Amino acid sequence: MNPWHEALPLTRRALLGGLGCTCCAGLVGTAEARIRPADMKPLVGAGHRPTDKDEQGLWQQYQRVEEEIAGSNLLIRDPALTAYLGTVAERTGGPAAKDLRVYLAHIPEFNAFMAPTGFMVVFSGLLLRMRDEAQLAGVIAHEAGHFLRRHQIRQWRDLKRKTAAMNFLGMAAGLGYGATGIYAGDLVRLAQLGGILSIFSYSRELEAEADAMGLRQIAETGYDPNAMPETWQQLIAEVEASAAMRKKRPKRGYSLLATHPAPEQRMVDLRASARELAAPGRTERARERYLAALGGHRKTFLDDQVKLNDPGASLYIIRTLAKDGWNGLLRYYEGEVWRLRGQKGDDALAGRSYAAAIAYPDAPPEVWRAHGYQLLKEGRRDEGQAALRRYLSLAPQAPDAAMIRHTLGQ
Amino acid sequence: MRRGPLVSLVTSSLVLSACVQTRQVADVEFEPPQGDYSLIVMRPDVSVGLLTAGGLVEPRADWTERARANLLKALAEQQAGRGGKTRILENRSGIQGVSADQVAELERLHAAVGASIAIHKYMGATLPTKRRRGLDWTLGEDAVAFGKATGMDYALFLHAEDSFASSGRVALQVLGIAGCFIGFCAPQGGGGQSAYTSLVDLRTGEVVWFNVLQTSSLAPGVQFGDIRTPEGAAQMVERLLGRMKAGRNIRARQ
Repeated sequence: MNPWHEALPLTRRALLGGLGCTCCAGLVGTAEARIRPADMKPLVGAGHRPTDKDEQGLWQQYQRVEEEIAGSNLLIRDPALTAYLGTVAERTGGPAAKDLRVYLAHIPEFNAFMAPTGFMVVFSGLLLRMRDEAQLAGVIAHEAGHFLRRHQIRQWRDLKRKTAAMNFLGMAAGLGYGATGIYAGDLVRLAQLGGILSIFSYSRELEAEADAMGLRQIAETGYDPNAMPETWQQLIAEVEASAAMRKKRPKRGYSLLATHPAPEQRMVDLRASARELAAPGRTERARERYLAALGGHRKTFLDDQVKLNDPGASLYIIRTLAKDGWNGLLRYYEGEVWRLRGQKGDDALAGRSYAAAIAYPDAPPEVWRAHGYQLLKEGRRDEGQAALRRYLSLAPQAPDAAMIRHTLGQ
Repeated sequence: MRRGPLVSLVTSSLVLSACVQTRQVADVEFEPPQGDYSLIVMRPDVSVGLLTAGGLVEPRADWTERARANLLKALAEQQAGRGGKTRILENRSGIQGVSADQVAELERLHAAVGASIAIHKYMGATLPTKRRRGLDWTLGEDAVAFGKATGMDYALFLHAEDSFASSGRVALQVLGIAGCFIGFCAPQGGGGQSAYTSLVDLRTGEVVWFNVLQTSSLAPGVQFGDIRTPEGAAQMVERLLGRMKAGRNIRARQ
């Protein structure tokens, strides 16, 4: 999982592989200190347009990318939901409020990215994990923060400067060796490593800036700033839950080559910043509005998630959403997680979830099918058949209706 | 100087390693279009940038626009010379009766098929199922439908990249070669072109001809045409499309 990606194609392999003959010294930053939201001022005004050649080139490329994304069949084309995401971006976008565009991609992962030209792509897996609008606003504001702080062009310039410096120094050391016979190879390699590390360190610094900028934006527009550290808390716990169920050690998500700060460090910083920004009048969560906007999509996104064969993460997500109250939908998918895992004893756990789900008025028709088959497996024939009939009456046009009728006729 | 001959060998081979390469592949039954045919040039994918000292290519919007316009003009002139009716699609919504989405889908399909051709025909990963069968790829029914809707016989796809060394990069190139004289040879690549074009027969949907052009130089200051100028663009078009060879079976029968 690699959430909240920067838009520049800055991958470890590209950087490490692409530098070739490189070298540099003294560019490594020190340990990253927390960036205070109060220090984060937007660096672009309304209607920002590039004036420098390098930024114009970047924009031209990304205009093409946006055209591709806008026409992609991975997008969820729901005008109401897209418009809703746009309003959240507008509210948290500061001076760029009118310039931001949001695309929603149907990808079951916790991720989003921002392009230098002002469009962002939000993945459906992110919307699944958000408990309310304040949490969503936190992520969108983080992405908008990349735009407000002109991160892509700053990162590009940093990369240009450092790769050039490394190349020149490598050349100088080599020429020095050729001319004088003084071998500096080991030092050069050390300096190369320093240069590469400093590029990743700058990337993490920008992520921390986006966190601080985003937090400031949501707090100033009346959202509860605590929503943002909460999202991080959820992400860390999800990774741990996923690993625990697979009996594996969770990835710590931190190394000198990471493009993003360690989640734990990020959460600690966000909590401290949220405390600074907390104030009366900055408490809005807007859960009802979020759920209304999400509508039937939450079911689709839950469905995507449980099919990822990651039961630990799926259960964690379902239980996190259930902190705001269990309902038929969440209980049904809890049962589905157990059923799909299919280990010894999971049947019974699934059955319990289905039985709980049917008690809720919002239980989707499929619960009755799952519940019915489960009862049949347990040998409770009459109850099972009654549940399957209930399914057919609720969903007479279901694609598997004929098969269910066949089961009932046996 | 003891190292003299070696140094001059190395430096001269560096300068000579600057080169222009094209390599075309064709369907075994491919006959270059002649006379009365119609061809639609799909929106060319052009990008021109500055090669920085560190080896990164920084895209430049103004250069790209100029190069695109020059290439389009050169293409139209070159095709007119073969007798064909050429139509150039400058944006996706330029055709009546074909939606921008359909054009986009055809472009994406071609990008995928083109990548496959590049891997299996140019990068050495030959497929046993396609051995000795010339160019054996198709865009299928979508391309045929596109041909019917537009009334065109062929579609031409073009992708072109060009880059120019920044002054910092040129300095490094000079140092890298000058170093050969003191025993430290570190030649650095300069700017260069890389382009490919493919011809799709819209009556069958098949990719009938494909050509790749690459120019590069390790010697500072050496260039092989500048597609930002009309002459350089015409040169690239000529290199890519000028000598279209017939397919193997056709040549064998001749």
